[in-house]
Amino acid sequence: MPEELPELDPIIHGKLRLAVLSLLAGVEAADFTWLRQRTGSTDGNLGAQMLKLEEAGYVAMEKKFAGRKPQTLYRMTPAGREALAQYVAALKRLLGGAL
Amino acid sequence: MVTTENGSGENKDELLQRIELMETMIAEGRRSTVRNGWIFVLWGSLYFAAVGWELFLPFRNWAWPVCMGAGVVITIVVRVRQRRTAGGTVNMQSRSIMAVWRMMGTAVSLFAFTGILTHHAGGTMYMAAILFFIGLAHATSAMILRWRVQGAVAAIWWVGGMAIFFANRWQESLAIFLTASFFGMILFGLYAMMLERRREAVQKHA
Repeated sequence: MPEELPELDPIIHGKLRLAVLSLLAGVEAADFTWLRQRTGSTDGNLGAQMLKLEEAGYVAMEKKFAGRKPQTLYRMTPAGREALAQYVAALKRLLGGAL
Repeated sequence: MVTTENGSGENKDELLQRIELMETMIAEGRRSTVRNGWIFVLWGSLYFAAVGWELFLPFRNWAWPVCMGAGVVITIVVRVRQRRTAGGTVNMQSRSIMAVWRMMGTAVSLFAFTGILTHHAGGTMYMAAILFFIGLAHATSAMILRWRVQGAVAAIWWVGGMAIFFANRWQESLAIFLTASFFGMILFGLYAMMLERRREAVQKHA
């Protein structure tokens, strides 16, 4: 019997969402402006993708104030880290010897 | 769930691109984007301004409180503006370094305030202690960042602190303090700014 192919989590597989999760994997938390600059995306697109990640429970949002200006801070949740690890494992299995 | 063919062609390329994207973004997230060099230039210049005011201008008792107060205000205002335009991240390293410098600032402020209040300011021990405080912050930061240049800067402040004990006149102590400020703050800050600009240029072309 051939080994069953693993499935890739569609929430993570989106390019922008994958970029954001990868960025958040290297830091404790990051604000919206920083994520937008690093990914080169627009406010609207990034906002929509962050909402999807939040709904999936992969990121947590925190609203703060820097001086008088509101600041939106995102951090990766344990579920997000687990999902990203599983996504990487699935990618490795799919690519097999290509890596 | 997305099921992907385990074969060659577009799917494989796409998956490899995803891995490349992840590697790039993880490295990007870990890379420090904070601009700190200007802070050293600012504070080094303020030390010179305070000494200059104290020596040559009226109301000399106000020189240090006003210059140091201005330093705190300018640092906070510029930091908040930087954060607004470029955003920022929180990680253990940046929090550690921030904690070191904030606590050093608090310790020196309390030390200086009490010294001025009790008329102990200006003595050999007083001046030397301030140099050791600043050297301590540089040394701790250098260890966190594993940055030898900042380690050398810490040595400049500590050697300066030790040298003050051998100074015979207060002018000599002042000259030691200003020398340490020039090399250990202004020149170091300019060097850090140069590195930051070079790093940004590399990132833009990457």
